[in-house]
Amino acid sequence: MELKFTEEQEMFRESVREFCQRKITPVALEMEKTREISIEIKKGMAELGLLGCTASPEYGGSGLDAVSAGVIGEELARADPTGSIPVFYLVQAAWGFVLNKYGTEEAKEEVFPKVIAGEYFLGIATTESDAGSDVGGTRTMIKKEGDGYIVNGEKMYISGVREAAEGGGGHLTIAKQNPELGTRGMTMFYLPLTADGITPTYIDDLGREGISCGGFAIDNVRIPKYYIIGEENKGFYIVHEGYEFARGLIAVICAAAGLKSLENGMNYIKERKCFGTAIGKFEEINFRLAEHYTRLNMLRDLAYKSLWTIDREQQGKGSRFETSKAIAMAKMFASDWACNAINDVMQWQGAFGYSKECPDQAAWRAIRSFALAEGSKEMMKMIVARELLGKEFIAYK
Amino acid sequence: MRFIVCVKEVPESIDVKIDLKTNKLQEEGISTTLNPFDQFILEEALKLKKDEDEIIAISVGTPQTKMVLMKCLALGADKAILLSDNVFMGSDSFATAYTLSKVINKIGDFNIIFCGQQTVDGNTAQVGPELAAQLKIPQVTYVESVDKFEGQKLVVKSQTDEGFKIVESQIPVLLAGIPPSSFTPSLPPLRNIIAAQNKPCIIWNFEDLGGPKDKYGSAGSLIQIIKVYYPPPRKKGIVIVEEPTTAVEKLIELLNKDKVI
Repeated sequence: MELKFTEEQEMFRESVREFCQRKITPVALEMEKTREISIEIKKGMAELGLLGCTASPEYGGSGLDAVSAGVIGEELARADPTGSIPVFYLVQAAWGFVLNKYGTEEAKEEVFPKVIAGEYFLGIATTESDAGSDVGGTRTMIKKEGDGYIVNGEKMYISGVREAAEGGGGHLTIAKQNPELGTRGMTMFYLPLTADGITPTYIDDLGREGISCGGFAIDNVRIPKYYIIGEENKGFYIVHEGYEFARGLIAVICAAAGLKSLENGMNYIKERKCFGTAIGKFEEINFRLAEHYTRLNMLRDLAYKSLWTIDREQQGKGSRFETSKAIAMAKMFASDWACNAINDVMQWQGAFGYSKECPDQAAWRAIRSFALAEGSKEMMKMIVARELLGKEFIAYK
Repeated sequence: MRFIVCVKEVPESIDVKIDLKTNKLQEEGISTTLNPFDQFILEEALKLKKDEDEIIAISVGTPQTKMVLMKCLALGADKAILLSDNVFMGSDSFATAYTLSKVINKIGDFNIIFCGQQTVDGNTAQVGPELAAQLKIPQVTYVESVDKFEGQKLVVKSQTDEGFKIVESQIPVLLAGIPPSSFTPSLPPLRNIIAAQNKPCIIWNFEDLGGPKDKYGSAGSLIQIIKVYYPPPRKKGIVIVEEPTTAVEKLIELLNKDKVI
């Protein structure tokens, strides 16, 4: 057994880390106010090949596997406490993977070059007001008409709505094509947010200020046939591959953000004195540090293992269910463990920890979102239990 | 044209420990990188490179040194050669220059040799000049930029204590480069890192180079390190916490006592 990254992955890490130190870390907290990722950062990410990095080289991508994509996510999470850039990156990496695997040649040739150049945003829009992790509850409808399709419905709590609606690009979306077939009647497709009939709305999120969150109404939007992702009525199964890619990246990102915050905390508790002694000497503090550090490294290992299961599955060496379980295990506690660590780091820093000048508060607000985003932690428990006990033990069946 | 760029793996941080028993840096667990002076001169070489030209990066080091050569390949070098053998261990700048000269002679024809002016660990600035002497070619040191390169001549801008000088040279020549303050090292994009995995990175040992063994490594070195030690720790300072007037009086008293004033 050898647990190490490849030479290539170490080189990715070095290049991305240097980019982050130069371009992201010095200005990251400004995104709390500017509420956007600067053009300079997007351009730099594009030049380095970070955007849509999972797309195949024939479309301009680097064809990265899941573990390599995780290495990049980890570095971005260490650099940006607001979590905006990690989200901007991970969504396009994970759903780029789905578009690359299941999209038509025409769609890939149309979308990928612009995503990779940083001109388009490629997102995911499955959530609705009454359907989140329960994708089967989707109400948006798609129906065939002529040589294309008509879509009607509404999506909500979607990342990158402004980026795609104003800057160009779109979201991979799911809708019911044959409602009577339940989850077996759902189709996935690419929906440009610049299309006629799309009306965006925006939501003021608790964190991740540099990337927009919102929803959009879909009113008789016509899409061509080549925007369909995979086979019709197979959308429910395809969408889970994207979720799992994203969940694995999220688990790595949570571990990285938590560990980065602990580094901030360690620097502080070694210097800050109370009763004439460094507060890092108090067991109330250093025992907690030891526990958080251990837990977050367990999470990091589990997260990378989960991404490795995706790569194994893509190589035909693992099953869908093994991947689902490994990913759900990694994401289950990712947000909680990282948030608990960050919360303690804020506490150690006293009043400064509660101020907007403290980067850890931004990290806490960002990482809190991942207990919900791309599948709630409760849903992760349901997946693991289902894989352990069998489908007959699913509560809703 | 064939350009040869000599590079070195150096510690990423200056915060390195010394093994007092072996008189060497404690290399285990420290992260290393491409010497920044070498990256600068590699990028100068890349600016001169035309499609038909070849850039070969070479380095003397351990198997781990391959990582910095891979970075050179990702930045645009066409080929890399790592000289790695226990025989090369303990080389000073003279023995390193000898080893590099042997590999360059083995490669054969070349037009320009590029070296960083110095390394951030050893800081001797000797390898480039010694290599030029061993190869019997002219050299220009402290090169900030190559401003013109036509036919068999090039014009470079070289830093001096007072400013800079413009030097014209025939090729073959060795250029030892020092980055101007405006230099920002390039970052290799992912696709170039991936492409680098398919470029040749060859490892040569003593047998590949040949020649007398005692010319290499510590045996071939002119400098013998007798002892490496940390400077004695500075004594704890005195902090005077008083009103300014009283503090100054106390300071003068202390300086008088120590016969400083």
